[in-house]
Amino acid sequence: MSFSADSSTRTATRSGWADRAFGFAGGAAAFLTAGLFGWIVWDLIRLGWPHLSWSFFTGEVEDAGRQGGVGPLLISSVLILVCCLVPAVPLGVGCALWLSECVRRGSLTARLVTGGVDLLASVPSIVFGLFGMVFFCQKLGMGFSILSGGLTLAGMILPILVRTTLTALESLPADLRPAAAALGLTRTTSIVRILLPAAMPGIVVGVTLGIGRALSETAALLFTSGYSVRWPESIHDSGRALSVHIYDLALNVANGGPMASSTALVLLALILIINAAAVMLSERWMRRRYHPEA
Amino acid sequence: MNSVNDSTETESIARLSVTSLTVRYGDLVAVRDVTLAFPDGRITALVGPSGCGKSSFLHSLNRLTDLIPGCRVTGGIRLFDGTDIAHPRADVLALRRRIGIVFQRPNPFPQSIRRNFEIPLREHGWHRRDIPDKMETVLRQVGLWKEVSDRLHKSAVALSGGQQQRLCLARALALDPEVILFDEPCSALDPIASGVVEDLIHSLRDRLTVAIVTHNLAQARRIADHVAVFWHRDGAGQLIESGPAGRVLAAPSDPDAMSYLGGMRG
Ligand SMILES: Nc1ncnc2c1ncn2[C@@H]1O[C@H](COP(=O)(O)OP(=O)(O)O)[C@@H](O)[C@H]1O
Ligand SMILES: [Mg+2]
Repeated sequence: MSFSADSSTRTATRSGWADRAFGFAGGAAAFLTAGLFGWIVWDLIRLGWPHLSWSFFTGEVEDAGRQGGVGPLLISSVLILVCCLVPAVPLGVGCALWLSECVRRGSLTARLVTGGVDLLASVPSIVFGLFGMVFFCQKLGMGFSILSGGLTLAGMILPILVRTTLTALESLPADLRPAAAALGLTRTTSIVRILLPAAMPGIVVGVTLGIGRALSETAALLFTSGYSVRWPESIHDSGRALSVHIYDLALNVANGGPMASSTALVLLALILIINAAAVMLSERWMRRRYHPEA
Repeated sequence: MNSVNDSTETESIARLSVTSLTVRYGDLVAVRDVTLAFPDGRITALVGPSGCGKSSFLHSLNRLTDLIPGCRVTGGIRLFDGTDIAHPRADVLALRRRIGIVFQRPNPFPQSIRRNFEIPLREHGWHRRDIPDKMETVLRQVGLWKEVSDRLHKSAVALSGGQQQRLCLARALALDPEVILFDEPCSALDPIASGVVEDLIHSLRDRLTVAIVTHNLAQARRIADHVAVFWHRDGAGQLIESGPAGRVLAAPSDPDAMSYLGGMRG
């Protein structure tokens, strides 16, 4: 009796110690991560806040960015994002649907396509930029334009969209499909009315990640949507994205640092706002129709 | 009609008849050479140990086996009016409207209760305007109307297991099927919910033709008119005995059926 009690206390103490160490390490890691984010934001606010004003959002770029604002760039960024999402979301979701609902998992076609998608995910963005320049700008004659940039980014965020949608579809309850089939629903109805709505939260996460990635991309836009700081009149105009502007200010413009921070702050806010809006809109739409509360 | 001397076996015509049906998954023969008729307006219970192909057999009756890659069904399945269910070009979607199914685990769509009816009814050509009435009728039939009438816009998956199963039954009934299949409909439910669902199935007698797979021999005795006993033999599931419930349950002629059914007399 005493022996077993003894040994159990000993293991308890040892595991107690391990638990504490693990808890401490985990806590430290979490704290460090959160702290790093906080520090970055704090630094941006410290350097960038003083220059922020209404005219910074609406004004044109003056003196290579040392003066004025980022109005045209804000518009260009949003337009590039639209040109990116409009083809990328249907394409990515469609590809994931096809992989999960139309071909057998583990079949050669499925493996080839998923392999291709994963390969696409590993392509460095500068390579996407070069491809975009050669293909969209030159071959398809779109020139340095918001459209070229958006389409290039579309290719870049496609793997994210495919992967997240695929994961969402594959983690749906397996008996939804037989349930739909048993009621004589066509595959289209089953996908459009049942599977897609059920997978929507996952798809929204994918789109959110894609938006973040697209808005913060620099390299792929340098050679595709270009540097023009004028107000874009259409998606065929060249337009500088906020991220490109930050890069330019930080590297090529003497004393551009503070304005780079202000622009970064605007970019960060833009990403947060767009993502919050995406999540809120989709949740409202979903709740009304598909995912009612208990 | 030469082999039939038991007059009760001819009491009603067959709504659904199966001849020499074999279901294979690749090289595995799940069930071999089953010939069985489902009398109109009666309840036929399919019993037997796990893995002897009852579900495979049942799911082949409305071609749900089509969904499983590598699954192959041979043999004949015919509805009363001559519709050839097993035909490769049969209108499977219309067929599944005529032959409904309720599964072991309740599987409502993760949407509102109302949408669970709207989706299938719209698909089969119902006008939006007629759906609320139909929904109320079938929900009343399964005794769920009082419980859910004020929360039709709320999620179906928030209901209890028994309520979900009754919802699934109502959803199947909404399409006005002639035949309804149940694959162990009570085995995921607690005893009380299970009793409620059993009573509902019993209440379908006369109006619909029912086939029910059950592990619960007492349940089969309570509700079934006819019993079919499946057994795993010679490397495949087979039908070893079938006939009126009273005779098959009391005095099966097959020795394996006798030992299996003997368990219920203890
Ligand atoms: N989707 C499937 N793929 C391959 N084999 C299956 C599949 N479903 C069932 N089987 C096999 O078919 C046999 C019969 O299974 P099933 O019809 O589920 O029997 P029961 O419902 O009587 O328990 C079992 O050996 C089972 O492993
Ligand atoms: Mg089964």
